[in-house]
Amino acid sequence: MGVLLLIGTRKGLFVLRGDDERRSFELEGPLLAGWQINHAVVDPRDGALYACANSWVYGGTVQRSTDLGKTWTRSEGLGLPEESGLKLASTWHLEPGHPSEPGTLWLGGEPAALFRSDDSGATWQVNDAVLGHETREKWTPGAGGLITHSITLDPDDPQRLWIGISAAGVFRTEDAGATWQPANVGTEACFLPEDRFPEVGQCVHKVLAHPGKPGRLWQQNHCGVYRSDDHGASWERLEGNGLPSGFGFGLALDPSDPDRAFVIPEEGAENRVTCDGRLGIYTTADAGASWELIVAAEPAWVAVLREGMSQDDEAVYVGAQSGHVYALRHGEVVVAAENLPPILSVEAAALQ
Amino acid sequence: MAIVLLPGLLATEAGGQQRFELDAATVGDALRSLPISDLVLDERGEVRSLVHVYVDGERAHDLAAPVVTKSRIRIVAAIAGG
Repeated sequence: MGVLLLIGTRKGLFVLRGDDERRSFELEGPLLAGWQINHAVVDPRDGALYACANSWVYGGTVQRSTDLGKTWTRSEGLGLPEESGLKLASTWHLEPGHPSEPGTLWLGGEPAALFRSDDSGATWQVNDAVLGHETREKWTPGAGGLITHSITLDPDDPQRLWIGISAAGVFRTEDAGATWQPANVGTEACFLPEDRFPEVGQCVHKVLAHPGKPGRLWQQNHCGVYRSDDHGASWERLEGNGLPSGFGFGLALDPSDPDRAFVIPEEGAENRVTCDGRLGIYTTADAGASWELIVAAEPAWVAVLREGMSQDDEAVYVGAQSGHVYALRHGEVVVAAENLPPILSVEAAALQ
Repeated sequence: MAIVLLPGLLATEAGGQQRFELDAATVGDALRSLPISDLVLDERGEVRSLVHVYVDGERAHDLAAPVVTKSRIRIVAAIAGG
């Protein structure tokens, strides 16, 4: 089976269609020209495309297509309630809901907002528990703003999910969003002058729950790579065993192997380029006990953003700010596209 | 009947229509009648900060500003970005 890659860029959405071997890719686009696509995804339940389409002039939107991008419909009524005193600045991440809840989707936005739709993205309802969270005054924006950028579902329980907010940390709900508890025990806020393990305020860059092993989560943080085996109740740091740096953004998991993960370390917060003058994809096959380097490009001083990695059962896909897309399969790297606008997101879906 | 002229991205979002003739007594009436009003106005109904509105060549800073028959309302995106 081939793969459909949605590539969100600063200047529109591109589609790559890859063959069974992930050696040949056809490029289509740009779709939604003129829009900055922070993230785009295929809903595996019905094949619809969703995009977080943003404009510095016209604000943040969600666009939906049911014909693989030929036509798009913009969501209605997307915004924050007046009593919050906040306005929606941008949209950042779309997550199709649990398979048992067709038509349900989750949306993350700025400033630290979460929305839920129960009508396939036609309309959205703000999550009041996030907007009015008791720790919100302790949250501070990162370089990308105060953004809800990660939304990841428990594979078994539709009531349980996690969100990642920069820089507030990871939060977990077990009642479908009615309440949210901080889930940051063991993760460091290394940028703080003291009390580097607070309840909230951590700068999570990406958090993903493994789709096949309930309770296992992975996290790429501003201050390290972490794994949890207790639904995010605690985190174990996974560096000092092959990773050149704990700083990075991208994170990908192997859906068929919960012990395998992929990260792309960067030099650090003050020098956000890939380590050692090359684009290195580091992979672990033993749940983070050790890491192996796979060189995707060298020499290279690039960056891969938090939505810039994706995966399916065959390969891992990486989109860099250089505009290049790489496919890693069985240890071999193929350049799937070159010279696109700076890439913000990559999502893989089965090509029917 | 006021005439509203949209820039390219908004016209695309409006189904390809760049020119609208609308019954409107004020600038706000006209903008709220557009199918892309959510892109021009935020969730409070205020003009987005980087959207500029001109009526017959003059910058309109007030949604209550009156328009008359054949007034030409131009929506202009501020120069920004990269």
